Amino acid sequence: MIAAEGLSARVGEFELRDVSFVVPEGKYGVVIGAAGSGKTTLLETIAGIIPMKGGVLKLGGRDMKGVPSEQRNAGIVYQHGFLFPHLSVAENVRYGALDFTFADAIAKRIGASELYAREVRGLSGGERQLVAIARALAPRPKVLLLDEPFSALDPRRRTLVRREVRRVARELGITVLQVTHDFTEAGLLGDVAILIDAGRVLQSGPPERLFREPASPYIAEFLGAENVYAGEVRYLDDALPDFADDARELLARGHRAIEFLAGGLRLYTVGDAPAGQGHAVIRAEEVLISAAAQESSARNQFKGVVSEIATTGALTRVTVEISSGGGKSAPIVAALTTRSAQELVLREGSEVWASFKAMAVHLC
Amino acid sequence: MGDGRGFSEALAGALIAASLGSMRQAHRAASVIAALCGSIFLLFLVAPIARLIGAGGADGLRHLFTDAELRSALALTALTATSATALAILGGTPLAYLLERRRFRGRALLAAVIDLPLLIPHPVAGIALLLVLGRRSLVGGTLLDLGIRVVGSPIGIVCAMLFVSAPLYVSATREAFARVDVRYEAVARSLGDPAWRAFRRVTLPLSSRGLIAAGVVVWARAVSEFGAIVILTYNPKVASVLSYDRFTSYGLDEALPVAAVLAILAFVPLFLLRTLRASRGAAAFVQ
Repeated sequence: MIAAEGLSARVGEFELRDVSFVVPEGKYGVVIGAAGSGKTTLLETIAGIIPMKGGVLKLGGRDMKGVPSEQRNAGIVYQHGFLFPHLSVAENVRYGALDFTFADAIAKRIGASELYAREVRGLSGGERQLVAIARALAPRPKVLLLDEPFSALDPRRRTLVRREVRRVARELGITVLQVTHDFTEAGLLGDVAILIDAGRVLQSGPPERLFREPASPYIAEFLGAENVYAGEVRYLDDALPDFADDARELLARGHRAIEFLAGGLRLYTVGDAPAGQGHAVIRAEEVLISAAAQESSARNQFKGVVSEIATTGALTRVTVEISSGGGKSAPIVAALTTRSAQELVLREGSEVWASFKAMAVHLC
Repeated sequence: MGDGRGFSEALAGALIAASLGSMRQAHRAASVIAALCGSIFLLFLVAPIARLIGAGGADGLRHLFTDAELRSALALTALTATSATALAILGGTPLAYLLERRRFRGRALLAAVIDLPLLIPHPVAGIALLLVLGRRSLVGGTLLDLGIRVVGSPIGIVCAMLFVSAPLYVSATREAFARVDVRYEAVARSLGDPAWRAFRRVTLPLSSRGLIAAGVVVWARAVSEFGAIVILTYNPKVASVLSYDRFTSYGLDEALPVAAVLAILAFVPLFLLRTLRASRGAAAFVQ
């Protein structure tokens, strides 16, 4: 387990402040944040490389105050590997291992043993990362700290290694904390996601909750939510719209029907957000595009004109401009499979319907 | 009108061409002046040594077989310079590591204090050492009571050599440590190495060439030291003091072979340094 409570540390002018989060025993935590937000500093503080200035840090339930790096049983893998250039690849892998057979077996699983005959200086960035991961796992650490460890691997290798590291970590009961810029990776790997900015934790929790229920519009935009609207929250206690079943459940539990007015857009949802000014977030994956109006439970439906189509492989992002009267319009971005987009025969200028369920609207 | 425009365009073209031509000429002149200055400077550095070796080199090498005092001075020089280098390594390495890797209050002041012997004239350094290690000083007197004579003994020579050359060692060693990214040590420690073992297994091997080069620089500086030694220990004579003694007692002809041998011996550390630098360049620790 990695448990930080009010953790602070200082490196030059940069300060890590009041950092609190928990990654339960054997679980996989991901740290997300912009460059320079303090992600690596956080890992180095946990590893004992940077001294703590305040707060409490517990690894496996043990207080780490005054515990030197070598006694923390926490392996660290840097983005650039930092393989020891005066040693062979095998010597690197076995550096901290007590059991060389186990170290070699780990290297084989990660794909580093096939590099044993190579010179460290001749390895590519991705190969260095493989060896560095095997080296960190070889001493059977209780905690594994990974600083963008898959960034230099090709996509196919990345998927394989990512899966294998997760599997090894589960088998050995290792608690992992990984820094990543990749939201997909965060979603795929993480049991816990920690969003950090300017040395502070903005939000932490299950990745899905972070993505679906960001605590602020900044977090929503940082996490790639395309549809973030500023507006006004109003309660609809008198005239309840025709909500779907999941929304009705929430209503039954004391939540309230809400009308959110953002420019010309009128969104309906259910929640416990306070009335007044706020933000509505709708992830592009939640938005449906159709040629005709939906007759389903989607309460929020808007007719608009396609203004942009951007295809990136299997996914296509479609921007629909919703006319809100008076010459104003509001964009809604939808993410759909490229195949669906092709089936809809979408063109810029096409008239379409954009719809999403009331529960897809998150207020913050 | 048309002719007038053609004329002005031709005139502008000619002016541009002329100014470009004069710029090229100015560049060429600057290059020639720079090359001339560099050549004169190089000649100034090389000519005295070449002349010295040319005039006394062969004679000096012959003296190595016939001149017992020269052989003894050279042996004493090698022994004391090696001892001073060993002491510089022993005391200077941890100090350099501390200054390079740790951040503490007074670090800049400590670094400046270590550099101080480089800035004071060497006879002044000798006088300062005499005040601390002389017979009438607390340290020198105590050591003498214990049967250890500093002034007028090889120990005094080692002290003088160490005092003037140690700052060079600390500075070069700091640079060698700075070239080894601190994250190598961080990884080693995360793999279970205590600080000293991470230093031995990672930092030391990665900085070894730089440390050896620093040792060679210190040794060369110690061999060439004169000013501080002559104040602390005139006798027994090291090679530099012997060449001075021959010059003042017997004149240039007698001093020449000794001086030439010292100049020839200076090529040994020079060769070592060049070799180390070449291998370091080939094996840069680039991630």
